[in-house]
Amino acid sequence: MDILSAICSPVVLCQILMGLSRTVILFIVASGLSLILGVLRIPNIAHGSLYMIGAFMAYTVSRLFGGGIAGYWMAVLLAPLGVALLSFVVERGIFSRVYDREHIMLFLLTFAFVLVFGDLVKMVWGAEYRTVPIPPFFQGAIPILGMRFPIYNFFLLLMGPLVAILLYLLVNKTKMGKISRAAAVDMEMVAGVGINVSRVFCSVFVIGCFLAGLGGALVAPIVNVSLGMDHTLIMEAFLIVIIGGLGNIWGALLGSLIFGLTQSLGILIWPQFGIVLPYAAVIVVLSFRPTGLLRSTW
Amino acid sequence: MLEVRNISKSFGGFRAINRANLDVKKGEVVAVIGPNGAGKTTLFNVITGILKPNEGQVVFKGEDITGLAPHKMCKKGIARSFQIVNIFSRLTVFQNVQIAVFAEQGRDLTLFSPSRKLAVDDTYAILDSVGLTEKAKSVCGSLSHGDLKVLEIAIVLGGRPELVILDEPTAGMSPEETGRCISLIQRLSTERGLTILFCEHDMELVFSIAQRIMVMVQGSTIIESDCASVRRNKEVQDAYLGED
Amino acid sequence: METANYKYVIFALVIAAIFAVAPFSLPRFYVYLIALIVTTGLLSTSLNFVLGFGGIYQFHHAVFYGVGAYGAAVMIMKLNYNPWIGFIVGPLAAAFLSLVIGLICIRLSKLYFGMLQISLGSLVWAIVYRWYTFTGGDDGIHGISVPPILESPIGSYYFTLIVVALSLFIMYRILKAPFGSILQGIRDNVVRSQAIGVNVRRHQLIAIVIAGFFAGVAGVLFVVVDNSVFPDMMFWTLSLEITIMALVGGWYTFLGPMLGAAIIVLLRTFVSTMTEYWALALGLVLLLVILFLPEGVLGKVFEIWRERGLGRTGEAERTKGTDYA
Repeated sequence: MDILSAICSPVVLCQILMGLSRTVILFIVASGLSLILGVLRIPNIAHGSLYMIGAFMAYTVSRLFGGGIAGYWMAVLLAPLGVALLSFVVERGIFSRVYDREHIMLFLLTFAFVLVFGDLVKMVWGAEYRTVPIPPFFQGAIPILGMRFPIYNFFLLLMGPLVAILLYLLVNKTKMGKISRAAAVDMEMVAGVGINVSRVFCSVFVIGCFLAGLGGALVAPIVNVSLGMDHTLIMEAFLIVIIGGLGNIWGALLGSLIFGLTQSLGILIWPQFGIVLPYAAVIVVLSFRPTGLLRSTW
Repeated sequence: MLEVRNISKSFGGFRAINRANLDVKKGEVVAVIGPNGAGKTTLFNVITGILKPNEGQVVFKGEDITGLAPHKMCKKGIARSFQIVNIFSRLTVFQNVQIAVFAEQGRDLTLFSPSRKLAVDDTYAILDSVGLTEKAKSVCGSLSHGDLKVLEIAIVLGGRPELVILDEPTAGMSPEETGRCISLIQRLSTERGLTILFCEHDMELVFSIAQRIMVMVQGSTIIESDCASVRRNKEVQDAYLGED
Repeated sequence: METANYKYVIFALVIAAIFAVAPFSLPRFYVYLIALIVTTGLLSTSLNFVLGFGGIYQFHHAVFYGVGAYGAAVMIMKLNYNPWIGFIVGPLAAAFLSLVIGLICIRLSKLYFGMLQISLGSLVWAIVYRWYTFTGGDDGIHGISVPPILESPIGSYYFTLIVVALSLFIMYRILKAPFGSILQGIRDNVVRSQAIGVNVRRHQLIAIVIAGFFAGVAGVLFVVVDNSVFPDMMFWTLSLEITIMALVGGWYTFLGPMLGAAIIVLLRTFVSTMTEYWALALGLVLLLVILFLPEGVLGKVFEIWRERGLGRTGEAERTKGTDYA
């Protein structure tokens, strides 16, 4: 069988689509990470933990509202808001007091939260994994080229561009977005023109964390919501922002695409070690573009 | 000794240096002056390899060193101090200078001989010559600004250079400290025969020790000549002296 | 001056005596615990070699520890070499990997360096985790055979002590030599170091390889003490835990990381008997240290000693050596 028909085979195409729906989740989370990285210059290693909290919160909210369609939409709405609220409290309470420290200290501070949040989730929700039901409307699969493709994943494929567009509008068209972009490039200048830097940091941090929570809430119906989600996701998110260029949201999109596709195709071609392919992609990209594919704000 | 030929450097659309030319002969004391933003530090950065020029060459003792990596400059015999105090903050004054001596002696890969026994005399010799011997064991955080600027120069001397480039050596110093610094620079020239290139804001200081002066305004060289000619030059008077 | 030195020597001898006698007076578990502490302390010290003394953001140091351990384990169990050969291969493999990862990351600065190292280290972890036939996958390798002298708890204990002491000595000597002085110069000011003629990248790379080598040694010691290896040894959370140990102990001091390792390991042993929420406890400890004791325990102790020294002699200047801030 020649390569072309192999690539166009339904199995591969379906796998690509699955990879793309995974890309959507990764993009949503990584864009939040990139935002925080670009403006606050902090690699928020707790980002995965917030993603996990978003997923668990989605579980609880969904159950609270009966688990059906109402439960789902409330979860997708309230869980990210809950995560945003949590991050707001943490930022105001602790981070904002230590912004003058060296970056490595801030980084270690985010690690402290990985530890704390990890156990808090264990305390509140226990150690077993949870499942969030897919809402009735999104259950089942539609046939694509003779393969059955889950409707929920299709929904994710639509959510992706939606979030991307909203982010684009937020970053490029709102005043806050413009200030953040300026702050990412030159913080002193921004402070110099009288803008409250502290408030910029807080808003950017909260929005970034909201995105992490959103990613978690959206992914909840199709994965096992469990402890350890945080650890694996953050490794992937770091990889993505490195490929894409630190602080660059569109880099996060590109990075997520590369990651998602190499991972799903990788697993298809080489089941045992396919998971290693995205890392290989990183090394390839970095050998000719050491700071990532798109312009980094660093 | 040092020839700067038609150096130009732009950052994006902004032309920081526009065809700068400079000749520094062995043993001379040459000053570069100009208002803020004239491009003096950028010129020094290009000469010492921190920046690569868009055009032009830097020739040292007949060898083209344009764009050579900064750490190789020292081996060639060029050492440079910085405008904003740029020292090793967690180490003592003694260690600051000692490190420079180690680097010059090629000891950077010495793994097993204890530092406290090596290059001690050489280091103290330098500290003596700049007058920092009493403060040798102090950590930099406790020094006055003037002392830190002198330490800047001491570190430069650790590299046993032939050409010393000083970027605003008296910036932020009190009048008394400035006086001491000036006499130090003069001693370096007369006693050690070092070639000195420096930049400054203080005009009187410049006229008192420099033998030749280059005036830069907004990246362009207005004149490069001896003190008297510069003093007389109308353009210089308008552009720079007139502001005082 | 003479009396001070005298005091240090006595102190050191007492500590050494305590360590020497321990296996005969303490229950087996505690002997194991001490061996674990000094091994972990060596790991943390090797990290601090580049972190606290070199200013290099080595965020995934545990990879080299894991590779050292797995190197030995695989040589012994899968390739059937003599254990001693395995013990030598481990640190060498770790040093080699440090070189490779160092070369890839060295062009980037600070946090970026660290993030990339986490990613590359995670690649190594992912390979080890999945290569079931060679590395045992997520089961790890257990029951690793060691030379007969090291089979007993006492034998492995003394071996560990000696190797750790030797390693610490070597690292200390290097830090006190011009190499170490310049390394600290690079930590404090990269631009200035270049200006005085130091090839910063080469210097940092060598430091990274040395640190990786000793992390590998620590990995081999773990195999000696525990006779097993598992993928978690190279997971990024461990890397950050050893960074916490260095911070808690005082990362501008040489012995700080060892002290920090002792504190954290003992705390973990103690807390784990009371609750399953050790991560929460560690997170809170880290939080408190960052907020209130960033110089670490030993750092604080030295600070107090120096200030007391002020009071006694009345001098206005502060004196510091090169191995503590």
